[in-house]
Amino acid sequence: MIRRFIVVLAVALLALGHGPRALAQDAGTGLQALLQVEADLVANASRQTVQQVLDRLIASDLPEVPGFLTRWAAREVYQRQSDGLFVYVADPDADPLVLVDIVTGAEIGTATSREVAQLRPNRGVQTVIASALVAFQLGAEDPAERLAALAAIDNAPEESHLALLRDLLATESDPDVIELAEVLLPKLVIAFDTDDADRVAAIESLAGNVSLVARATLNPLLAVTSGVGVALPEVGNLARVLEPGSDIDEVAAYAMLVEAGLAPARISRAEQRDILAAHVVEGRVGGVPVAQLDTDAARDRAYAALVAEGLALPAPTEADVTAALDAHVFYEVYREASVAVTDAARDTLEGIDMRVGAYRVLDLSLDGLSLASIYFLAAIGLAITFGVMGVINMAHGEFIMIGAYTGYVVQTIVPDYTLSIAIAIPLAFAVTFAGGVAMERLVIRWLYHRPLETLLATFGISIALQQIVRQIFGTQARPLTPPDWLAGSVAINDVVSISSIRIAIFLLGVIFFVLLWLVLNRTRLGLEVRAVTQNPAMAASMGINPDRINMLTFGLGSGIAGIAGVAIGLFAQVVPDLGSNYIVQSFMTVVVGGVGNIFGTLIGAGMIGGLQKFIEWLNPTNTLAAQTYMILFVILFIQFRPRGIIALRGRAAGD
Amino acid sequence: MNSLLEVQGISVSFDGFRAINNLSFVIGCPEMRAVIGPNGAGKTTFMDIVTGKTRPDTGSVRWGETGRSLLALSEAEIAQVGVGRKFQRPTVFEDQSVWDNLRVSLKKPRGPIAALFDRVTEADRARIDEIAAEIGLSDHLDRPAGILSHGQKQWLEIGMLLAQDPRLLLVDEPAAGMTTEEREHTTALLKRLAQSHAVVVVEHDMEFVRRLECRVTVLHEGSVLAEGSLDHVMADERVIEVYLGR
Amino acid sequence: MERSIFARNPSVPIFIGVLTLLALGVTVMSEAYGTGAISVSFTKVLGMTLCLCLAALAMDLVWGYCGILSLGHFAFFGLGGYGIGMWLMTARTEDVVRANLMGGVIPPTEAEVSDATAAQIFSVVGATDWPWMWAASGSLVLSLLLVVLVPGVLALVFGWLAFRSRVTGVYLSILTQAMTLALSLYLFQNDTGLRGNNGLSGLQNIPGLDTVGQDRISIWFFWASAAALGLAYVGAVWLVSGKFGNIIRGIRDDEQRVRFLGYRVEAYKLFVFTLSGVICGIAGALYYPQAGIVNPDEIAPIASIYLAVWVAIGGRGRLYGAVIGAAAVSLLSTYFTGGRAPDIDLGIYTIEWVDWWPVLLGLGFVLVTLFAPKGLGGLVDYIVRKDRA
Repeated sequence: MIRRFIVVLAVALLALGHGPRALAQDAGTGLQALLQVEADLVANASRQTVQQVLDRLIASDLPEVPGFLTRWAAREVYQRQSDGLFVYVADPDADPLVLVDIVTGAEIGTATSREVAQLRPNRGVQTVIASALVAFQLGAEDPAERLAALAAIDNAPEESHLALLRDLLATESDPDVIELAEVLLPKLVIAFDTDDADRVAAIESLAGNVSLVARATLNPLLAVTSGVGVALPEVGNLARVLEPGSDIDEVAAYAMLVEAGLAPARISRAEQRDILAAHVVEGRVGGVPVAQLDTDAARDRAYAALVAEGLALPAPTEADVTAALDAHVFYEVYREASVAVTDAARDTLEGIDMRVGAYRVLDLSLDGLSLASIYFLAAIGLAITFGVMGVINMAHGEFIMIGAYTGYVVQTIVPDYTLSIAIAIPLAFAVTFAGGVAMERLVIRWLYHRPLETLLATFGISIALQQIVRQIFGTQARPLTPPDWLAGSVAINDVVSISSIRIAIFLLGVIFFVLLWLVLNRTRLGLEVRAVTQNPAMAASMGINPDRINMLTFGLGSGIAGIAGVAIGLFAQVVPDLGSNYIVQSFMTVVVGGVGNIFGTLIGAGMIGGLQKFIEWLNPTNTLAAQTYMILFVILFIQFRPRGIIALRGRAAGD
Repeated sequence: MNSLLEVQGISVSFDGFRAINNLSFVIGCPEMRAVIGPNGAGKTTFMDIVTGKTRPDTGSVRWGETGRSLLALSEAEIAQVGVGRKFQRPTVFEDQSVWDNLRVSLKKPRGPIAALFDRVTEADRARIDEIAAEIGLSDHLDRPAGILSHGQKQWLEIGMLLAQDPRLLLVDEPAAGMTTEEREHTTALLKRLAQSHAVVVVEHDMEFVRRLECRVTVLHEGSVLAEGSLDHVMADERVIEVYLGR
Repeated sequence: MERSIFARNPSVPIFIGVLTLLALGVTVMSEAYGTGAISVSFTKVLGMTLCLCLAALAMDLVWGYCGILSLGHFAFFGLGGYGIGMWLMTARTEDVVRANLMGGVIPPTEAEVSDATAAQIFSVVGATDWPWMWAASGSLVLSLLLVVLVPGVLALVFGWLAFRSRVTGVYLSILTQAMTLALSLYLFQNDTGLRGNNGLSGLQNIPGLDTVGQDRISIWFFWASAAALGLAYVGAVWLVSGKFGNIIRGIRDDEQRVRFLGYRVEAYKLFVFTLSGVICGIAGALYYPQAGIVNPDEIAPIASIYLAVWVAIGGRGRLYGAVIGAAAVSLLSTYFTGGRAPDIDLGIYTIEWVDWWPVLLGLGFVLVTLFAPKGLGGLVDYIVRKDRA
């Protein structure tokens, strides 16, 4: 009940605000009559004129008004062509249309769609209507409606909303509504309050608030207009004085002078040429033959002659320009008049910017971590085949690619995304494990003592695999869609957010690392692998079958690449050359980290990923440049630590 | 007799394992010295340090009359001042002919440009023939080194060492894989070399060492255990323990 | 023991002879000077193939003889192309722009011609000013110097860094691959001054030779490529057959041994690496005017790997092997991917060579590495030995 009262009060206040003229005119009876007074403005409402109609409707305090406004904004009001009557229709798709009275709700006849015109308020008008509706909605019983009203205020704030909002906060009990209203209040205070102290307080209440809303509220307060004159202006909230050459470049400064009519325009070379061309007389310009006008000096002479004849405007010399610049002051003035407000806004923004900066660093670190985990996933298989076995497998990227395509194929058969991913991961492992074992048996085992030739042979396999996949699946990207619970992102605030899929990849990387570490260091297989890679002959004499171990190790490395492929396919495009985009980075990751050690690969991935994001942060527009510099860094890094971060030393290093 | 090589208090460790521990060693010129010691005593690492392959953590390696430090020099520069090395396993350029192997080793300017414009002089030819005769490979000059027998490769490597004409020769197990006859020849050759060069021989075979008739340095766990004539060191309690005790 | 290098290397007279015969044959069958049996575009293909052979020769020097498997040699090749391409594009565009401006009422100043040329060349990347690296593009002599210097200096700096820290084997290969990847990514950027992924185009139009048709230009470039290949071959044979050759082969087989002989291995490696980089640069400078366009894709790591594969297939460690490998694989690739080869209809499936050639090629690499480690050149050994027997 109280709310209802407030609304009435608010509407009454609004009506008072708009003076007695409105009241006097609206003495007619009923909504229809009210509308008919300015029927044309209702039917063809524009953003500029609709307020006038709204003011009158609200002032009338008729109970049908909120309903009417809602339906008007929703384009549900029609006007009968014959008499201009405003009506609703029962069913907009019916033919003929059944017309409904806007006040009583009674059916008042039928009409064909030609006989009525639908009122189609445009977006601008809809916004104004919605904003007027706010007053009614804020008084609604349903908290959802009050929230909707607050959202409307947020969309198109108005001076009148400030009082409404304050009143609301005085009585509101719903926590959601209070929360949103408290976010909105400073925004409205800053924008519309007339008391600077209140505004400053509101500005200061935003201190440390890194949300986009807070920043969007404060930034306009510091908007400036630049100006020029012989002296600084007497009035206005001066932001700063611009020094030509340092704060503003001299060309731009002079252009301001010209714009303000304080100095003559410069004549550019191109303009000079056009003017000369327009004054060719008998093959000469200003006495100089046209054929000679191919140097700046000759053109200057001809132009000077034209000026002397009064045919062209004199161009300011460099000295003139400098003198003009020296004789004037360039400055920026805040659009906001109150010094206290701009000072408070500047201080508060500075504080916020520092916080935003800190959060950006956090965000960047998360980005770097996520990139690192991608590199780690791509490289971890290599850390085994290259790092532990010393086999250069150029087809490693293709195993990643095949893993991604396995995921795609599973998704075409199993429509449930969660289930299909759960199937795809072991299946991708199985497929690439088999591929790895086959490759080891058929090719690599013959080449263990010729590492460089392994490189070439596996490169051959790589292009063959790529082309075969291209034959089967085509060149266009295939979708590998993450399940819904992986599609979103986790946002800490408006600055820091990370997509769920990247968190999943990070976790996957951690799991891989732990599992592999355990396999290599805590199991019989791991022991045998290390034995075989360090001394195959000795291992063989101790009853270990090196063939079997090599086969299994290579299969393991390849299988992991397959799983990595499923993960990478979830965020990258699944195309036949997916793998080749990762192969060089993967090798660098392993080499930088230190060969023969998955811990090194972890650090290598962390370093490369972090560094790349850091360079991107220095030059955010250019990710290609970041990659370039990252590679250069790696090349230099290898100079100083040829064996990587975690290096084996001494005789074991085998040099 | 001036000292040619003075190694003072060197130590080196790999990942915590002390391969060389405060080792000092002096050899003059001309002099022959045999270095013996069980596996892992640091013989090869000692040679690696002298030839610049491994840098010691502490200590100094001084060379020649001027006492110039070898630690700042690269392997190539150390070889150029006159340190030659024969490896334990014969390392020759198997792909190239015996003649080419010797030619590459001849003492001549070592720079790339000099190598590009190198002409084989009569003196070079004579020297190669002389060395080939010395190492018994005169009939094999045109054959690829890769098809030589193990002993012949040993010889070729010694020949390459001769061609290099170093002042100090570090010879790692020269007699391994040789017949008795070849061993005798090797012994004779080394002894003759020791009349004008400093020669350090690392050997396991005591018979061979005995025939060299020279001072012996015994290494154990990276330091010098004993030094003197073979009979003297073999009588040393500690040496006996190291060789026979465990 | 030491005989003339030509007597020691019968391949030299044979190689020069075959090359001369090829050049004569192509000339006689060319459109410009002969029967016209060989089209202009095929003449260009042949000329370009010779340039690739030259690059393969350079690759064989570093890999086959010195044991450095560089997977980044196309970086040098591409830089050579960019070096000459800047001049070709500038000079050609300037001619067109000048002719255009001359049509105006007032003759253009030099500055106007230069500005308009820059605007014309760089409009694709939204720029109008000359980047600093085009400073030499106005002069043919300076540009030719760039063709040699830029790849040379890059090879020198990269090699110095890599060799002094004793990065060898597969690590070096990965590093060279990283080098070429970095360069191609750099060139892909629009704001680095070399027109980003558009690359340099219209290079087949030689400034000053507007009146000469492509039929004659193509055969001239073919001759130039053949001459360069012939000269480089003789030079390379000379290089590898003397003591220098013994040393670098020693480095390939046992680097440490060479070092203990007193040779500064790094200096030798650097010499060979830089030399082969320069040769690649020259090969690129001859190649791209025939191809007409150079862009960063050409420098992508895969191109350099192909180069290594050609050498492997031809037989590394023998210079003619590299040339044979490059010629055979690149000509076959052109044949199969150019749509010339007839498709094979198997009834249920039609084998289209354009699609299946890469598969065949890839598996071919595998078979060659497994069963013919000496490559096609090994066949020559086999035949020669049979003759003697």
